[in-house]
Amino acid sequence: MLTARKRTGRLTKRTGTVIAAAVAGALVLAGCGGGGDEAGDGKTLTLWHYEAPNGAMGAAWKQAIEEFKKSHPGVTVKFEEKGFEQIRKTASMVLGSDSAPDLMEYNKGNATTGLLSKQGLLTDLSPEVTKRGWDKPLSPGVRTTSRYDAQGVMGSGKWFGVPNYAEYTMVFYNKTLFKKHKVEVPTTFGEFTAALRAFKSKGITPLANAGAEYPAQQYVYQLALSQADRSWVDAYEQYKGKPDFHDAAWTYGATTFADWVKKGWIAKSSSGTKAEDAGAAFIAGKYPMFFSGSWWFGRFKSEIKDEWGTFPFPGSKLTLGSGGNLWVVPKGAKNKQLAYDFIDITMKKGIQNTLGNKGGVPVAADPAAITDPKAKSLIQDFTAYSDGGGLAFYPDWPVPGFYDTLVSETQKLMTGDAKPDAYLDALEKAYEAGAPKG
Amino acid sequence: MRALRRYPVLAALIVAAVLMVLPFLVVALNAVKSPAEYSANGPLSLPKGLYLDGIADFWERVDFGQKLINSVLISGSVAIGAAVLSVLNAYAIGIGRVKGRPWVLAFFVLANMLPQEALVYPVYYLSKEVGLYDTRLSVILVFIVIQAAFGTYLFSSVLGAFPREIVEAARIDGANKWQVLWRVVVPVSRPTIGVLLVFFFIWTWNEFLLPLVMLISNDNQTVSVALGVLQGQRLMDATMTNAAALLGVVPAVIFFLIFQRTLTRGIAAGAVK
Repeated sequence: MLTARKRTGRLTKRTGTVIAAAVAGALVLAGCGGGGDEAGDGKTLTLWHYEAPNGAMGAAWKQAIEEFKKSHPGVTVKFEEKGFEQIRKTASMVLGSDSAPDLMEYNKGNATTGLLSKQGLLTDLSPEVTKRGWDKPLSPGVRTTSRYDAQGVMGSGKWFGVPNYAEYTMVFYNKTLFKKHKVEVPTTFGEFTAALRAFKSKGITPLANAGAEYPAQQYVYQLALSQADRSWVDAYEQYKGKPDFHDAAWTYGATTFADWVKKGWIAKSSSGTKAEDAGAAFIAGKYPMFFSGSWWFGRFKSEIKDEWGTFPFPGSKLTLGSGGNLWVVPKGAKNKQLAYDFIDITMKKGIQNTLGNKGGVPVAADPAAITDPKAKSLIQDFTAYSDGGGLAFYPDWPVPGFYDTLVSETQKLMTGDAKPDAYLDALEKAYEAGAPKG
Repeated sequence: MRALRRYPVLAALIVAAVLMVLPFLVVALNAVKSPAEYSANGPLSLPKGLYLDGIADFWERVDFGQKLINSVLISGSVAIGAAVLSVLNAYAIGIGRVKGRPWVLAFFVLANMLPQEALVYPVYYLSKEVGLYDTRLSVILVFIVIQAAFGTYLFSSVLGAFPREIVEAARIDGANKWQVLWRVVVPVSRPTIGVLLVFFFIWTWNEFLLPLVMLISNDNQTVSVALGVLQGQRLMDATMTNAAALLGVVPAVIFFLIFQRTLTRGIAAGAVK
């Protein structure tokens, strides 16, 4: 025992020193790694966004960084690609600290940009917007998500963000499948349901869907929109009047959707699937149609092997859509002037055209410069909605946490656990509980 | 007879092992597929060829080497720091038998059960006050405390059963408290401390929420935070996510395999004594 102790005793002394040295070394190393504190010297632009480098926005903004460097010699651009989750979870904390960037991409909406503006964490961009004319190309529907009032509610008040792009929903369809089964591409709602019936009679589920995420509720909302008008949307989204969840539009949306599931035009089994699955299945040619948003466009363009195209949801003047994510300038940004200069570059034709040709929906592109025919029709369809006041935002926007309610209630509607009436009751209850009073 | 009884156990073990390995296989399978192939044939199809662009692109895109250094630095410091702290605490509680021991232990268990979401804001404000926000040191300190809470709890009960005779013999030989700890208790408990080290390292390696919140600059981020870059708002790049997951898991597995050997050696050495 005694010898053993002596032996181990010597051993531990040595390992003890090693451990102590390692800890000390690690702490010293870690201590040096503080975030670089650049003062507001006008020499560095710190820029954050969360777009994939091969997407439309990622590519356009990369080009914008190059142009910025050319027009601002001597200025370093410190670009950091962030994860969507990281920005979403930490934005208010980062913006309240010294580590805030000069310019960042952020989600539009009351619960995101609206909340930060209410907390005083964002710079009011109104003077710059007027001075540089950023508002000129933006239609009223696109502008809605840029402006927030003192309560952080979008639609009016000061400008806290500037969007570079927009988004909206449409029907993506597989031309090869349409041709193979001799189905005509529909232009009216009657032809649309006829096409759905035709595919079903050949044993094919016509519409791709994902009940566990946003696609299912977007079907319901689109069907309701086909029976609604602008004031209906304003009442629901911007609290201008009290929305009635048992009016003709909502009732039509819920019953028609349930009916389509019953008829097998939307697979009942899709109640548990994710948007990624629906998109991948459409890419693989398993479904002839998928009603979803322009955010799929770039990916479909690079991955679908069949012939494909898009058409607006037939028989509806309104569709889901809005301005895209915003450029915001944090209150604590150190080089605001550089940030404004960068936004200005992204609003110029060159960057906007790149965005359009890569499959995004630009807000200020030159239509003649868009060469890709699919991209051209994507942008034309958008302009038609946008000019006609047809952007109806998204069903989950009015109330914080409404998204989860919509997902779970729509799932029940699909599986038949809730009748359309009960479904609308549940939505009404959640809406009433969460919408601002007054 | 005995062999007959062994086969069902063996079969059950094989099934369990396959079930455990299957997710890794799926990840590895999709990591070497091209996005088009993934979209066309789904996640369970076999790749037609080796497509390593996903892994290479991801490495470039997030500067993975730097993330590896950060993760090793943070996990290593935490593992060592938390183990030292656990040993000191547990020595006082398990062998020193301080008053109110059960309460102290209960406190440590409670601290261990606290969800990390509850820690986010306090840790954020405190680290901002002392100027440690967005530094790796802040994460190291927080995790040393969190992991040491568990380590103290576990190691205290181990030391509670430590043979008193050995401690008393050392005292009679003239060792003071410090010497008893470092020359008797620690060497004898080396296998347990080794296990703690491995656990702390791997747990810290996989931590996501606090590093996500505390490490803002890309230069300071860990591997698990870097994986989050790939999850877009509405789209995800499935094959690249798989490639990234593979890259994220491999270092922890390698670490475990290396220390697995020293662990068994340590236990065997103790048995001979």
